[in-house]
Amino acid sequence: MIRLENVNKFFYKDEPREVHALRDINLQIDKGEFSLLSGPSGCGKTTLLNAIGALDSIDSGQIYLDEREIGALNEDERTSLRLNDMGFVFQAYNLVPVLSVEENIGFVMRLRGFGDEEIRKRVLEVATMLEMDNKLKSLPNTLSGGQQQRVAVARAVAAKPKIILADEPTANLDSKNSKSLMDMMKELNEKEGISILFASHDEYVMQSVRRIIKLNDGMLVDD
Amino acid sequence: MYRLILKMAWKNSFLRPARTLLVILMIAISMSMMLGIQGLYDGMVKNMIDKNKRSDNGDISIYAKDYRIEKDLKYRIKNGNEIKEEIKGMTGVRAVIMRIKADGLASTARKSSFASVYGINLTDEERFGKFSEFLKEGEVTFKKRGVLIGLELAKKLKLKVGSKLVFSTQDSSGEINSIALKIRGILQTTNIGLDSNALFVDIKSVHKFLGTSKSEATQISVMLEDDSLKDVLKDKYKDLDVKSFLELQPMIRQMQDMMVIFNSVTFLIVMSVVFIGILGVMYVSILDRIREFGIVLGIGMRYRYISFQILMEAIFVGLLGYLAGAVLGAVILLFLRDYGLDLSAFSDALEMWGYEAIITGTIKLSYFTTTFAAIITASCLSVVIPLIKIKKLNPIEVIKAEK
Repeated sequence: MIRLENVNKFFYKDEPREVHALRDINLQIDKGEFSLLSGPSGCGKTTLLNAIGALDSIDSGQIYLDEREIGALNEDERTSLRLNDMGFVFQAYNLVPVLSVEENIGFVMRLRGFGDEEIRKRVLEVATMLEMDNKLKSLPNTLSGGQQQRVAVARAVAAKPKIILADEPTANLDSKNSKSLMDMMKELNEKEGISILFASHDEYVMQSVRRIIKLNDGMLVDD
Repeated sequence: MYRLILKMAWKNSFLRPARTLLVILMIAISMSMMLGIQGLYDGMVKNMIDKNKRSDNGDISIYAKDYRIEKDLKYRIKNGNEIKEEIKGMTGVRAVIMRIKADGLASTARKSSFASVYGINLTDEERFGKFSEFLKEGEVTFKKRGVLIGLELAKKLKLKVGSKLVFSTQDSSGEINSIALKIRGILQTTNIGLDSNALFVDIKSVHKFLGTSKSEATQISVMLEDDSLKDVLKDKYKDLDVKSFLELQPMIRQMQDMMVIFNSVTFLIVMSVVFIGILGVMYVSILDRIREFGIVLGIGMRYRYISFQILMEAIFVGLLGYLAGAVLGAVILLFLRDYGLDLSAFSDALEMWGYEAIITGTIKLSYFTTTFAAIITASCLSVVIPLIKIKKLNPIEVIKAEK
């Protein structure tokens, strides 16, 4: 589903402080995978995740999503790709503060043009799966960190993307909430068949995933 | 999607309620002040035009050719009565007056001054311009050689009600003739020309004094209900000098133009305040939420939706400011229309320029419609800079910055 060929990425290119963030990365992520990009801080996990998510550009190599080369897309096409094929979960929950839980979960679906009834049904389904169905009318600021992150996951899942990219989703959560979130994401992966790729160095994440891709100094060192 | 965006825009408008309410208040106060000033400016000019029309020219005035240049009795309308009756019979005509005027010298035992005697018919004048409303002192009557004198002329000649004066002029045959008059009333029309020079006398006495016939006139003035009659009258009396009010009073036209300039400048200043106010609140609001915008851009929200949301936020603030300003402005305008602004402390200066000491305002729908258009425009323009900032926003930078 996702294929990376000789991907290189530099920061501050051609400057004395140049950083070679990704070095000749070759990687394949298949449909339904539950994988983790792991490694020490600054090894390039987030950079690789952002490149796969069409959020950041690369300097050389190719990234394919279902044989469609992401690097060849213009800004508008990248936005469409992110909207239609990908789901994102960030470290900070990043919910829209003025919208209710229900509206936040349905937000991406609405951007994609789903109908009201379809959104309502799907939101309820996902919220029930993530045990947030009793908080649908609440505003994000009335929820705990763990609950907010579950809403962020629900938002990413609701529109049924091909892959969810989750960057340090448990970083702001305590151990109980981290475990609970990972259990739920695993369940989603199994039930919905959505591929999920994490970037994290959290113990709970490592224990939960089925595949660990290790990075060091921008290089893929173990898979 | 747009319904959700509107909801987000509405809620975001009040994310910092104190800040938003302050801007709304600022728009409302500046707008209502502007409406009040506009109403007063227009009211001043309208009152001036109204008094001038009622006391002298009406909507249209007819003179013999060359009379307005030579101001000589020999250029008088011979068949004035006939024309007056003809015009009276036309539909769209509210009232017609006929006047005969002669310039001369008004003298008392101690002083003398240039003056003009106006022969008028009080009944016609009352119908034409509620003449009695101009009375400042005394009564409106011509009995026993009575004369109604302009306030400034009375001051100049130090005359009071009951005082006597002699008016001398050349009659229609070229002879110098004089008439003794007793002041029955003092008038204040705020028409500078009349207040400084006019002596109103019964038209029959003036005809007799000047040796003119009853059907003759130097001026026929018409109050119209239908403005299109101006052209009809101009066509009908081609051998006479038919002029509209503003053609006869170019100064008032200039004043009208000046007021338009004053109003425009006030309008521009207020709109700049509104623009800066909304720009400030929108810019700060967007800086506050830059991460939110970065994230929604990251998850695939299109820039056009974000632009629409921000535009609607600004419009909501502008619209609420407008509504509050319109209500406050309407209250101020209604007060100014019904009670006026009492500037009696400056009455001498104001009356010298033809304005009343109590200035009443006018209310026009156009005040509200143009302000609405301007506030909405200012609101739309105020988001240009914030939108440019968002357009330049790189979601990845925001996502990195959160770490």
